[in-house]
Amino acid sequence: MNQPILATQTGREVTGHEVLMEASPYRIEKKKLGMWVFIVSDACTFATFLFGYGYMRVGNQNWGTPFGFSSILNGVVMTVVLLSSSLTMLAAVRASQTGAKASANKWLGVTMLLGTIFAALHLREWFKLIGEGWRLFYNPTGGAAQFGACFFSVTGLHLTHVISGVIALAFIARGYKHGRYDSTHVETAGLYWHFVDLVWMFVFPLMYLMNAAR
Amino acid sequence: MSSNQEPGMRSYVGIVIGLMIIVGIEVILTYQHLSTRTLLFSLLCLACVEAYVGIMYLMHVKYETPLLFWTIFPSTLFVLVLLNYLWPDAYRMARMNLVK
Repeated sequence: MNQPILATQTGREVTGHEVLMEASPYRIEKKKLGMWVFIVSDACTFATFLFGYGYMRVGNQNWGTPFGFSSILNGVVMTVVLLSSSLTMLAAVRASQTGAKASANKWLGVTMLLGTIFAALHLREWFKLIGEGWRLFYNPTGGAAQFGACFFSVTGLHLTHVISGVIALAFIARGYKHGRYDSTHVETAGLYWHFVDLVWMFVFPLMYLMNAAR
Repeated sequence: MSSNQEPGMRSYVGIVIGLMIIVGIEVILTYQHLSTRTLLFSLLCLACVEAYVGIMYLMHVKYETPLLFWTIFPSTLFVLVLLNYLWPDAYRMARMNLVK
């Protein structure tokens, strides 16, 4: 049986029940709107973690500043890597929108590589701190024990997002290559990737720079 | 669906380089021996500028329908403002020196 077909505001053809539905007032794909809802809720999650960290820091008169210049430099390199990955993600989205599949997959691969480098640099910083004796609830310098809990939980949550993003991009790239996904999937994954990047714009100054040994 | 007014890749490169410069300014400010309060205020202001630029341009909100902006931002900001309820208690803890 032939289904009625309708072209939506996004140019996508729809069939079945969707034909009878009103167009979205946001004029974006449903998956993109869903990603925005997720981003808002995730932003609130990160904000809660950062406010919790601020609460512990303000309420504690003996807060440590464990980051020497080498750690700050490592953080700057991580930031540059993550910002560069946003640029390569934009290139992937742009290529997918013009139908340049090979180019889109190439840029998605570069984005995944940069995400992996970011995660490796992040883990290097973690292992350095753990090697110095920092633990979730132990401060080797004798100051506030809560620093470890705040640092490892906030940066760990962000690191989890980066690793999840790399895995998601791998799935999107594979699906896009084999024609299961289209450019809107790449664009939606890009939204998530930029969000993870923007969260780091708060995590880096608050967790690293505010705890730098000056 | 994004409109056709989106900037080209050259503009995006400029935006990302601008964000990197802001990060550089943050690092320089960190070593200027500012008071903790001044440093925190400066870093938060710069981070908010980065977030605004990122959301509007990298995440394309500037090129979407304004309804998306007005749905997302007031509600998120409302939550962030509400989270500030805990500061008086944090300062109380600092005065009492409860956390060791």
